[in-house]
Amino acid sequence: MASFKTYYDEQNLSPMRQLWVLFKQRHPARIGLYLFLLLLVLAVLAPFISPYSPYAHDQTALLLPPAWSDEGKVEYMLGTDDLGRDILSRLMNGASLTFGLSIVSVLIAMAFGLVLGAFAGLSKGVKSSMLNHVLDLALSIPSLLIAIIIVAMLGPGLANTVWAIILSSLPRFVHTIRNAVHDELQKEYAIAYRLDGATMFQVLIHAILPNIFQSIIVVATMSVSNAILDIAALGFLRLGAQAPSAEWGAMVAESLDQLYSAPWTIALPGILIFLAVLSTNLVGDGLASALKRRLDK
Amino acid sequence: MIHYVLRRLFLLLFVLFSLSVLTFSLSFLFPGDPLNNLSGYQEITVNQLAILERKYKIESDYFTQYIAFLRRVFSGDLGISFNSQAPVFEQVNRIFPATVELAVYSLLVSIIIGIPLGIISAYYHRRLPDTVILTTTLVGYSLPVFWWALLIIFTFSLHFGWFPSSGRIGLVYEVPHISGFILVDILRSDIIYKYEALKNALMHMALPTLVLTTYPTTVLIRYTRGSMLNVLETNYIKTARAKGLSPFQVLLHHGLRNALLPVIRLIGLQFSSLITLAMITEVIFSWPGVGRWLIESIYQRDYPAIQGGLLAIATFVIIVTITSDILYKWFNPVSRTQVDGKF
Repeated sequence: MASFKTYYDEQNLSPMRQLWVLFKQRHPARIGLYLFLLLLVLAVLAPFISPYSPYAHDQTALLLPPAWSDEGKVEYMLGTDDLGRDILSRLMNGASLTFGLSIVSVLIAMAFGLVLGAFAGLSKGVKSSMLNHVLDLALSIPSLLIAIIIVAMLGPGLANTVWAIILSSLPRFVHTIRNAVHDELQKEYAIAYRLDGATMFQVLIHAILPNIFQSIIVVATMSVSNAILDIAALGFLRLGAQAPSAEWGAMVAESLDQLYSAPWTIALPGILIFLAVLSTNLVGDGLASALKRRLDK
Repeated sequence: MIHYVLRRLFLLLFVLFSLSVLTFSLSFLFPGDPLNNLSGYQEITVNQLAILERKYKIESDYFTQYIAFLRRVFSGDLGISFNSQAPVFEQVNRIFPATVELAVYSLLVSIIIGIPLGIISAYYHRRLPDTVILTTTLVGYSLPVFWWALLIIFTFSLHFGWFPSSGRIGLVYEVPHISGFILVDILRSDIIYKYEALKNALMHMALPTLVLTTYPTTVLIRYTRGSMLNVLETNYIKTARAKGLSPFQVLLHHGLRNALLPVIRLIGLQFSSLITLAMITEVIFSWPGVGRWLIESIYQRDYPAIQGGLLAIATFVIIVTITSDILYKWFNPVSRTQVDGKF
């Protein structure tokens, strides 16, 4: 039953609370959030709850189909691959690699972006304009291309992939934060803060940051979905995570020969990548539209 | 406008300069001897050494070496590949059109499908067609391209056997290499079985194009829809409606031309992401393009080839991006005054 309001009470929620209220009104976004949280829990707990080790071979159970098929065994819920490794365990551990690492690398990129973007937002003149143009251009180059270039320089490997993802998602953060800081500085509440005698640093921390944090979150969500796709694509191209790793893209690459004979070895990791990206996109879309509605109000 | 073009061109020069410095320094950053990495000769004999040292000015300071490097790039000499011992520049030149061809066709398909669907979606805002289209695009947007490609191959190539799954044209057809664009080459050549060859090439092209077009199409639909909705909220649209025009007339005469302006810019930007996605698609479909070539060079640590491939792809992407930026400003005077007034 809808709550009945007798008195008009003004709601003065913090920007983040307001965003949440608007966010949860949209159901697809909420479902996306639940899926996202589920994957996050899986990414953290995978090593403890997966039934087998992702690298353990079972010579007696090669290429078993999933349990619901007639030839499948219930011990191996989602079947096994050509080396007899349990796919369910590999998928669970892959969550911490593909999904977990992309979140971690986006968080690191966000931290760097905050520092660089704040400095850039405070600077003025030709230097700042030049930076803006270069950032514009860096933004228009797809992150995967930047990542491939970086991996080409550093050599293949999961650690290098993470660096590549961090570096390739950095321009977007710097750009957004720079523009946001720049815009907020013009507003009266920021000027009032400065007239009160606050230093630039204090203005940044206490006045500007709480007000731009929501746009940073939106950018971060979008970057996570890009990062998942990039890590998986690099893994698939064998430029990222290497062979025995349970990274989802690398799993698809490893089972490529069995596309026809054992389609589940390719379908399942693909579905998980898809779900991870979809849930992140749903959350990102929901946040972006909530932010837009909040600012329109 | 001239001011803007000049500034963009200056930016282009600056970025190309940084790119060339980066590519040049790669030979020193890659493992191994810089002379090997620059020239591509893996075993250098004593006689060659003197010639190569003179050519690459390896004894002089870095600046002189860099100038020599620029000279060589402009004269089309990127060294030879470690692997095939063939000149890198000629190889890139030969295979680059294949990638561009794939990307251009996919872009065309995505424009033909994406823009009308975006308009329909905006026209039926928050009604059934809109919901269906939006949900579909969200799915298309989230599909990892390599998995989508495998799914398509599994269905159309392995299961039904309708389309070939790899290569550019059947091995029985010998098409002379003129422009590198296979459809053009077939039409211009005078081989027998010309139309069979054309049909065969189109069959080979169908699946990679379908895979590659998915992402830009979804982006175009979403973007066109958003841009259209923004325009439909403006006052001149309300005026047109108040004048008594039907919604369809308003859409056609007032909405469309204003809503499509930002889309032009997006199309230019899409091209660079298409080139990147094309790299993955090429690997899966064994399409003989520059992406597959670059990725194989990375596997084989073929440093001269990596350098050449990176230089070619990055230069191409940057030039396309800046050109589309300039074109957008050209078509859309409103955006010119907004951004350009401030420096």
